Amino acid sequence: MNVLSSTAGSTTGPTAEAPPLEAAPRPPRRRRRSSIGHPRLTPYLFLLPTIVLFLGFKLYPYLSALWTSLTSNIGGVITFVGLDNYARLLQDPLFYTALGNTALILVVQVPLMLALGIVLSVAFNSLLLKGRAFFRMAYFVPIVMGLVAYGILFSALFDSSAGIVNELLGYLGIGPIPWLVDPFWAKISIVLAMTWHYTGQNAIIYLAQLQSIPSELYEAAQVDGANGWQRFRNITLPGLRPALLLTVILSTIGTLQLFDEPYVLTNGGPDNATLTVGMYLYQNGFKYFDFGYASAIGYALTVIIAVVSLIQFRLFRERTPKPISPKKPMSSKEKTR
Amino acid sequence: MRFTPTRQALRIVAAAAAVTTAAALAGCSSADDAQPAAEGEVGGKITIWTWNAPGDGLEAAIPAFQKLYPDVEIDVQDVGNPAIWEKITTGMAAGGQGLPDVMNIGIDYMGNYVEQFPGQLVDLRDFGAESLESEFPSGAWKSGSGADGAVYGIPYEVNATGFFYRSDVFEEAGIDIDSIETWDQLIEAGVTIKEKTGVPLYNQDKAATEADSAGLWQLQTALQDSFYFDENGDITMNGEAGVHSLELIKKANDLGIVGDVQGSWDNLLAQLRGEKPTAIMPAGGWMAGVIENEAPEMAGKWGVRLPPSIEPGGITAAVNGGTYLSIPTASKNQKTAWEFVNFALGTLEGQKLVYEGGGMFPGYKPMLESEGFAAPSEFFNGQSPNAIFIAELAQDTPVLNYTSDYARALKAYTDAQTRVLLSGADPQEALDEAADQVAQQTGRKLAD
Repeated sequence: MNVLSSTAGSTTGPTAEAPPLEAAPRPPRRRRRSSIGHPRLTPYLFLLPTIVLFLGFKLYPYLSALWTSLTSNIGGVITFVGLDNYARLLQDPLFYTALGNTALILVVQVPLMLALGIVLSVAFNSLLLKGRAFFRMAYFVPIVMGLVAYGILFSALFDSSAGIVNELLGYLGIGPIPWLVDPFWAKISIVLAMTWHYTGQNAIIYLAQLQSIPSELYEAAQVDGANGWQRFRNITLPGLRPALLLTVILSTIGTLQLFDEPYVLTNGGPDNATLTVGMYLYQNGFKYFDFGYASAIGYALTVIIAVVSLIQFRLFRERTPKPISPKKPMSSKEKTR
Repeated sequence: MRFTPTRQALRIVAAAAAVTTAAALAGCSSADDAQPAAEGEVGGKITIWTWNAPGDGLEAAIPAFQKLYPDVEIDVQDVGNPAIWEKITTGMAAGGQGLPDVMNIGIDYMGNYVEQFPGQLVDLRDFGAESLESEFPSGAWKSGSGADGAVYGIPYEVNATGFFYRSDVFEEAGIDIDSIETWDQLIEAGVTIKEKTGVPLYNQDKAATEADSAGLWQLQTALQDSFYFDENGDITMNGEAGVHSLELIKKANDLGIVGDVQGSWDNLLAQLRGEKPTAIMPAGGWMAGVIENEAPEMAGKWGVRLPPSIEPGGITAAVNGGTYLSIPTASKNQKTAWEFVNFALGTLEGQKLVYEGGGMFPGYKPMLESEGFAAPSEFFNGQSPNAIFIAELAQDTPVLNYTSDYARALKAYTDAQTRVLLSGADPQEALDEAADQVAQQTGRKLAD
């Protein structure tokens, strides 16, 4: 690039020698000329790694999985079977069990975790809390924890006979709870483990959003005589709305794909009580070598996630105007600034 | 020189992207250009995939083999179990690319590989393997062969069921273990044992959240000459035999003589050491070595015998797993691979070295009959576990057809058992449900 532009300069140089006035138009010309060739190509060259990675590791797997979902291994031969795998999916009671479990965990766990996250973020943001940096970090640390360590930790905590949780509950006179080995409690264990794992991350997202809410709002509200709860309801919550939308959608997607917790804690059991769609996909692909069916499950899950996310976008968008409307004058003022 | 505008530039980028992508992907599956050793020549290098203990056994046979064929190099790789199954699957799914020359394959995976990836394992009759058939127990040999008689694997490890029991616990409860002939009698004895010593008859992973816990049912069902599938591959798990087994399991559980211990290796050792006590421990023959090595302080407290039968005078022998050595058709050095497999498993000299090195229970009859093999063990109160296993293998053990859908059947059964043990479901209903599920998933028929 340097070579080209300098030769261009040297060719134009001698002709435009004498008058110093011509010095002014020169730079734009030079810029324009070099923009004819190089820079048009350059950005794409810079994008090349992304394009290559996208084609090789995203687009190709997407298409390959789509194709695989239309095939089946019949007597060792990969055969095109059309929509057979999807038809089978619709008649598979285990798939519905997995969907039901996933939905149940979603409905219970996500609101619980997000509510906790909001409470934590308000505490993290409060000037009354000493050692805030420490608490913020402490609650965020679980997200960094590796899958295996996480599994071992919670297996040790929730072991029905020798687990620490039951030991502590025993001191309170609460009988041993069959955490991981009872269909009902296994689901509770999964919810608890997920909440421990991801609440801190959501709290940090909320905290970032909280810090963007102007403190004048709180001061003004205080002057107007609003108590703590009113300030939280009318300033904090509406202010958190963008972060709420983000975390609700991310958590929903994450939970619909849920795999880690049942994999390390309950293996999907007992009797499929914690079988999730992700677990079922894994079992079919890697335990039963039924890759066609596993791919079909993957695509079904993708469709479900897309639909649920769309609904959530709609719901949040419709609700947005209401609480913000009383503050309209303020936001328009900001705009004019 | 000027660069031409956008369209061509884009075309160049697209071409470059395509080439780079192709190159990157090609890098993932390296082409194997090694020249095959000529048919009939023994030489060069072979690679073996196996795991820890069986690997030690094969290593031990290498020096003697190299005396016969000095220019053969053998690389025994401890791929790990269960990692090896996924690795073999991946290789076979890729048309044999990256597979070694010899693979150690579990009996429960054999059918899967043979059915899902036909033509990927060498029919060892090409090398005259059929002459070894009479040297191995027929059940073990047949599970490694196709329906048409093709030989896909030579039995390496042949596990009969060891029925281990705590002689001290039975003594304390005042029960003569030798008087017990059937499982019904055993369960009755279990009630007495529980009353007098507090020790459960056996432990089960009732929720089966750590591992599949179908070992006991498979044993009891095999003792009735049945399994998940019959020889045609039709589903038999909800047949009379299977239901009877689950009824026995439910009966023992309802009597309160079954402990609930999660199925992990640590918990197994805790049971062997008496920390989580159990009166009996039916397991593969390999358990004899594990008890002796892992619970040395329990010397004299463990005994071993044939498993009780289901009906008086019924079968008292069952194969409990096993492994094979197979050669993939992708191997470039099949002749050498075969010579090594034949030396290690088909000769007394090789078998002795392998047994001393790894301790896997062999299926080779001359080895079983060899001097000192069934010598009494001090640890087991002067009993000989090996003699018991030999006696079992001498019985006409039922052939277990694992098929390519063993994993699904195993999972469906385990879930059914959990429903029976935890929620009191009816064995017949639970197994019917499981069988229907397997049929729905696999398209297999229910046997009449």
